Amino acid sequence: MRVLLIALKSASAMKIQISYTGRSYQTSTLLPAEITLDENSSVADALRMLTKDLSDEQQLPASCLVAVSGEHIGTLSSYTNRPLRDRDELILIAPVAGG
Amino acid sequence: MGGPASLMLTMGGVGHVIIAHGGDMISPDLNRQVLGSESVLGKPRAGDFGEYLRSMNQFVEVEAIGHEPNDAEAAELAARCDIILSCPPTFEERLRLNLAAVQAGIPFIDAAQWGMTGTLIVVKPGQTACLECLYPEPPPFEELFPVVGAISAATGSLAALEAIKILSGTGEPMWGKMLTYDGYRGNVTIVQLQRRDGCACCSSL
Repeated sequence: MRVLLIALKSASAMKIQISYTGRSYQTSTLLPAEITLDENSSVADALRMLTKDLSDEQQLPASCLVAVSGEHIGTLSSYTNRPLRDRDELILIAPVAGG
Repeated sequence: MGGPASLMLTMGGVGHVIIAHGGDMISPDLNRQVLGSESVLGKPRAGDFGEYLRSMNQFVEVEAIGHEPNDAEAAELAARCDIILSCPPTFEERLRLNLAAVQAGIPFIDAAQWGMTGTLIVVKPGQTACLECLYPEPPPFEELFPVVGAISAATGSLAALEAIKILSGTGEPMWGKMLTYDGYRGNVTIVQLQRRDGCACCSSL
């Protein structure tokens, strides 16, 4: 019985909401609205999953802001990695400067 | 975006408005420059924009500068202002205005748009993240990008609203927050911004 519980726990997964906005609406249409990750996954794991199938031209800008559930953690080129929790929202905001 | 923002501030009676905008009026800009008109095409726009603002509220003093301020001019202007609204088309100019506001110790509001998306950042120097905390290096310049006048007007008006809140002491300004309105989907996102250790602009405050 104990072994069974451990097995169930290790198989659990998290659902992470994805929000991409700012520069390039077209890029946002390439990304899923939600991804599923293994428990204990981090922001870096989520970003790897999100970008692995994007071509070089489609890659997100290095200066894209990264936030988790409303808390800013840096840019794609420099962010503080942290664990994600089930139902977190990963927010990516590509820099916007139009006047 | 600076047009609707300055229009709302002037109509709101803030007292003294300084606008700075270089170049002549060109037809592609007519879809969002609410202070302009076809009669200004091919002419320097700042003076005409100033005249229009004056016509909207005789009790507000309006200064119109016909070029983008350099570093020294931005610092001099900031020293005469209570708040800066940043609406230019490049990050270099935005970061220049951010620096001037931080050095003068006055609030800074950055409003920007791309297509149908608008962003708004409200900075209290020394207490909340400044624009350079977010972008230590200016993101790449984009020469051509979509502009929808409706989002420029909406975001510029929200910037003016934040300024009016700060100047009047009414309500709760969005200090340290970034608001994004994604008009493509109708989604609003608000992010609490973090100051960056070692920010060359504001970490000494």
